[in-house]
Amino acid sequence: MGSLELTQGVVNAILLSGTLALVAIGFSIVWGILNIINIAHGAFIMLGAYVTYWLFTLFGIDPFLSIPLSMVTLFIVGYVIQRYLINLVIRAPLLVTFLLTFALEIVIINLATFFWKGDLRSVTPAYSGAGFTIGAVQIPYVRLGAFVISLLLTGLLHVFLTYTKTGNAIRATGMDIDAARLQGVKIAQSYALTFALGSALAGAAGSLISISFPIDPTMGGAYTLRAFLICVLGGLGSIPGVMLGALLYAFIEVFSGIYAPGLKDAIALFVLVFVLIVRPTGIAGKAFYH
Amino acid sequence: MNQEVIFETQGITKYFGGLAAVDNVDMKIYKGEILGLIGPNGAGKTTFVNTITGMLRPTRGRVIFKGQDITGWPAYRVGRLGIARTFQIVKPFLGMTVRENVAVGAMFGHKGKNRTARQALEKADEVLEFVEMGHLRNHFADQLTLAYLKRLELAKALAMEPELLFLDEVMAGLNSREIEEAMEMIRKINASGVTLLIIEHVMKAIAGVTHRVFVLNFGTELAQGSPEEVLNDPRVIQAYLGEKFVERQRRMQQASPQQ
Amino acid sequence: MKKSGELQNSQQAASKKITRQKVLLGLVGVFVVLLAVLPLFASGFWMRTLTLLFLLAAMAEGWNFIGGYTGYAAFGNVAFFGIGAYGTALSMLRLHFPFFLALLVGAAAAMLFAVLVGLPVLRLKGHYFAIATVALATGVGEVADFWTDFTGGAAGLTLPFFRPIQLSNYFFYYMAFVLVLFGLGLTYFIMKRKLGYSWLAIREDEDAAKMMGINTTWSKVVAFALSALMAGLAGGIYAYWNTFVLAEEVFKIEYTLQMILATVLGGPGTVFGPFIGAFIYYILITLLVFFLPVGQLHATILGLIIILVMVFTPQGVMDFLSGRKRLTLSALLENIRTHKV
Repeated sequence: MGSLELTQGVVNAILLSGTLALVAIGFSIVWGILNIINIAHGAFIMLGAYVTYWLFTLFGIDPFLSIPLSMVTLFIVGYVIQRYLINLVIRAPLLVTFLLTFALEIVIINLATFFWKGDLRSVTPAYSGAGFTIGAVQIPYVRLGAFVISLLLTGLLHVFLTYTKTGNAIRATGMDIDAARLQGVKIAQSYALTFALGSALAGAAGSLISISFPIDPTMGGAYTLRAFLICVLGGLGSIPGVMLGALLYAFIEVFSGIYAPGLKDAIALFVLVFVLIVRPTGIAGKAFYH
Repeated sequence: MNQEVIFETQGITKYFGGLAAVDNVDMKIYKGEILGLIGPNGAGKTTFVNTITGMLRPTRGRVIFKGQDITGWPAYRVGRLGIARTFQIVKPFLGMTVRENVAVGAMFGHKGKNRTARQALEKADEVLEFVEMGHLRNHFADQLTLAYLKRLELAKALAMEPELLFLDEVMAGLNSREIEEAMEMIRKINASGVTLLIIEHVMKAIAGVTHRVFVLNFGTELAQGSPEEVLNDPRVIQAYLGEKFVERQRRMQQASPQQ
Repeated sequence: MKKSGELQNSQQAASKKITRQKVLLGLVGVFVVLLAVLPLFASGFWMRTLTLLFLLAAMAEGWNFIGGYTGYAAFGNVAFFGIGAYGTALSMLRLHFPFFLALLVGAAAAMLFAVLVGLPVLRLKGHYFAIATVALATGVGEVADFWTDFTGGAAGLTLPFFRPIQLSNYFFYYMAFVLVLFGLGLTYFIMKRKLGYSWLAIREDEDAAKMMGINTTWSKVVAFALSALMAGLAGGIYAYWNTFVLAEEVFKIEYTLQMILATVLGGPGTVFGPFIGAFIYYILITLLVFFLPVGQLHATILGLIIILVMVFTPQGVMDFLSGRKRLTLSALLENIRTHKV
């Protein structure tokens, strides 16, 4: 492969990694703190994408500006679901919570297909195709914007978790629930907030994805699997780990897309299984809140 | 006392990251004895037992049972060889009845190879009579009180017909009467030909039941000998109660001399 | 005095339980006989519907081994169904094997895959295991889709029809029915033996199981392989019945969800649970199709049903049927009480 293609591939991977990190980070905090694999994570991403789509199509709101709105919407949705549904059975065995979030995904996707139909849609603001070039490498504005916003949100999450009282309460809940309870942390609330945060971040990711790629109600599933893969690659419980995992996965995805397009997903899946077997704690090492 | 060595560790060491939880422990267990293993919290007693029974792999050292090197053997092979253990935090099979819990030991333990499941269930009845839990055989394990759960834990291990039995703090959480009963049970088991190593914090039990005591502190051997020797050893007392206490004791004894 | 009173009570309870079990067994026996003679007076439509139901029940019985009894929630068992389907189809088409031999080849292929994959993957716990199995099943499906030379790729494989055609419905009905009975018998047989107890021990406390002398790796792999056997046989039967095998179809993740749901609805870790659960599942689906005019919302209703089941009765109906629990409001809320935040 020519060095131009190589360089473009590298750049694409780096730009993609930002959004993928955002996709994964919401999933990661729910998994790390609540010990739930949220199969409906993809559905939340999809909902965020559609919020942006409808705000753009109906009211002409710029997609990047719609991100706070999609985040708030998904925050509320996630909070309600966690507080009044998942919290009811959160200490049940894995199978129960797994099937529960599985069912949630089915419901959300089916409702979305029913109301909005299954056709592919796009969010195409005026600056959609534009970009700039460095040498012969193309950098579209929307992808760069997505990358920057993803980093920004990830950074804000880190600040929130580390420096605010609520954020620390959440981390404490994930590390040792009994100790947290004894310290006066309201667990039900912490859980609901964490899930709501994860959902909000998923919503933001969905919004960003909608600007660069076409969307449909079933788009989420592939992202849930990627989120899982990135968490496994990068290690749970560590934001830098997730970012590293996202970068690594972005490279795998971009380059297997170039070399073996038909087998792209299969390669990713087998990499996942391989990593799970060889080093389930991921690159960043042992998860600190497990 | 029979001086035949049934179990021996040589230089057993277990590292977790950079920390040696167990450091170079040489221990001999003589056939037919009840050996007490004591030490302050965090001394590494449970880790030591985990390492020598196959739950963990030792970083260094050897484990020898009846002359056979079993270092690094997985737990299930150790269990089939004739070694059984109980866990500090009991591990009952909650979804099964008491009888089934114990039968599992009879199915897969030392003499389990030639037993059918039905024969194992019959063996379980025997064991339950031995530990005086026969009347609870068809109760599900999740219905038992803690004292009975501990006895169930013991019964499961006994059903394996071990030659060597490790008991990990079986007395924890028991009241005075229950401790007496447990001590009787241990003597009964020993009398039936089983060699025992018991990890305990309850000194009454150590003093009353063991033939020898081995003291572990910070993962290494601190002292060993008869119960009287060890329990009066100032180093042991210091390890448990701290220097200040030993000082105070000495001053009190000087002030009013006792025998 | 108290002791004999206690003894009396538990004796009464025990004999009540045995009577109830006998009644239950009797009912099931009658049901089985009815199913056996059903083709004599039922239409082709019903035979075909029940054939599908039997295949689901068979897969559920298989999943029950690894997910219900051993406690390892595998989410990729459709892979075994697909491998069984392809193995059977390819043996018939390329090697010109007769159906029964081809069926065995398909099942053997599925079991082999289960053993090879199970050895590394069964070392994983909980979530990691679940996702690994999903990933593997999806990956295998994609490979099958991609590997056109071998599997016919997106065009699929077309099999010859069963001859004589008039007997086709009957043949596949009884094949699937026999498979279900085989599954029931196999479950009963194993759970009376040491292997079955080893599965339960692993589910309840794997460390204790190891310490008591159970070779947990081997035991888990056997459970996994037997679940593959059931799904692989079901896949092979389906392939010949459908006369068409397509990767996109035989590796659908929905099939895994269905077999798990059927097991959970009926009662995981019981002999008849998957069988009964398959019926409950189909009844629910049929009700949806016939009484809900809004066809596109079936999945939503199904999802809501799953949610209700997971919140209130994740142990399925077996506990209530067998008399172990009584159907009270309190019993329904027990799951929430024990597992809420």
